[in-house]
Amino acid sequence: MTTQAAVEKAKKVKFVILDIHGVLTDLTLYYTDDGKKSEVYSLHDRLGCAALKEAGIEAAFLTSKITRIDQYIGSIYKIDRLYGTSAKITQLDEIQKEFGLTDEEFCYVGDEIIDTGIMKRVGFAVAPADAAAEAKAVADYVTKTPGGRGVVRELAEFILKAQGKWDAVVERLSKTGY
Amino acid sequence: MEHEKDIQKAVERAKKVKLVAHDVHGVLTNNTFFCDVEGRRKYSFLHQDGFGHLSFKRLGIEVAFLDTTSIDNEGLYRAQELKLEKCYHKVRDKMAKLGELEREMEISPEDVCYVGCDITDINIMKRVGLAIAPADAIDEVKKVADYVTIAPGGRGSIRELCEFIFKAQGKWENWVEEVAKMGYK
Repeated sequence: MTTQAAVEKAKKVKFVILDIHGVLTDLTLYYTDDGKKSEVYSLHDRLGCAALKEAGIEAAFLTSKITRIDQYIGSIYKIDRLYGTSAKITQLDEIQKEFGLTDEEFCYVGDEIIDTGIMKRVGFAVAPADAAAEAKAVADYVTKTPGGRGVVRELAEFILKAQGKWDAVVERLSKTGY
Repeated sequence: MEHEKDIQKAVERAKKVKLVAHDVHGVLTNNTFFCDVEGRRKYSFLHQDGFGHLSFKRLGIEVAFLDTTSIDNEGLYRAQELKLEKCYHKVRDKMAKLGELEREMEISPEDVCYVGCDITDINIMKRVGLAIAPADAIDEVKKVADYVTIAPGGRGSIRELCEFIFKAQGKWENWVEEVAKMGYK
C-alpha cells in the first residue's frame, strides 16, 4: 500500500472507530497491591480526538468490553460512543444503519487478530506501529507511533491533511484550547 | 527527522532571556497519564527539571507554566511545590497570555524563551527570542525551534535548557560552584 493510496482512502473518512487496548494504550495493565487496575494513555490522543471532532468527523471506541476506565477516558477525550462487543462487524452494521454511511466512509484502527475482519470491511484500515503482524498485513496505513503514544494524534493529522482541513483545525485549536 | 540547528545563533539568543515559559505536558511530562478504575489519574514529572526551575529563579530568570491540555491540577501542584507563582493553567489562548505577561514584566518577545512540543505551540515559538523543543516534540515544532534538547519531554529538557542558557550568559560555572558548596534551597 503506497502512501498516496492511503491518502485517497483517508479523503473519504467520516467516521473513525478506535479499538482501545493496543491503540489508545500500549496494552500494559498496572495493578496495585489492593487489586486496583490502571492503564496509561497519551494526551496526544486527546488532541487527536479533539481535532477529528473539530473537523466534523465522528469517533467511537469499539472494544470487547467497556470498563470503568474506558468510560473515564471517553469522557476525557469527549467520545460519547463507546461500544462494548467482540462482534465488531455486527456493531459496524448497526453504526452504518444509524448514520447512513458506507464502508468506504469508515476508518477503523486495530492491533490484533480480532480486528482483522472489520479492518478488511472498512474503507481505511489503520494499525499502530507495534500491532500484531496479522493486523498490519490488512492495514491500509501503519502509524509510525506505537499504541498508547499518540496513534490517534498521528491518524487525525493524516486524515485531516488528506482532506485539506488540518491547517484550519490547528489554527482554531491554538486559539480555543481543547 | 533531524533538523540542522545553528547553535551559535541559539547561544546569542539565549544571552537575552529574562523569562522562560513552557508547556507542561510533553515538556515536564512525557505526555502520558495513568487512569485507574476509580478515574484517578497520575502524571510523572522529573526531579532534575525542578533543579532547572529553581536555578532560573535564583539567578533572576522568571519562569511561567503555560498549559492548555491539563485535565487535572497536576501542573499547579508541581508549580506550588517549586514555589513558582506564574502557573497559567488550562489557558485557551497561550499566545494572548504570553503577550499579557510580557507587558506585565515590561519585556519584549526577544527576552522570552519558550519550550513547546505540539502544534498549538508553533505560533508562539515563531514569535519569541529563543524557541526550544524537547527531543520527542512533533516534527513541525522541532523545525521552528532554535534548539532541540537531547532530553525528551519528562526526562530533563528543562534541566538541559537551564545549563544551556546559563552557559550562554556566563553564569553557569559560578552557579555550579555555589550549589556544590551551599546547595540551592
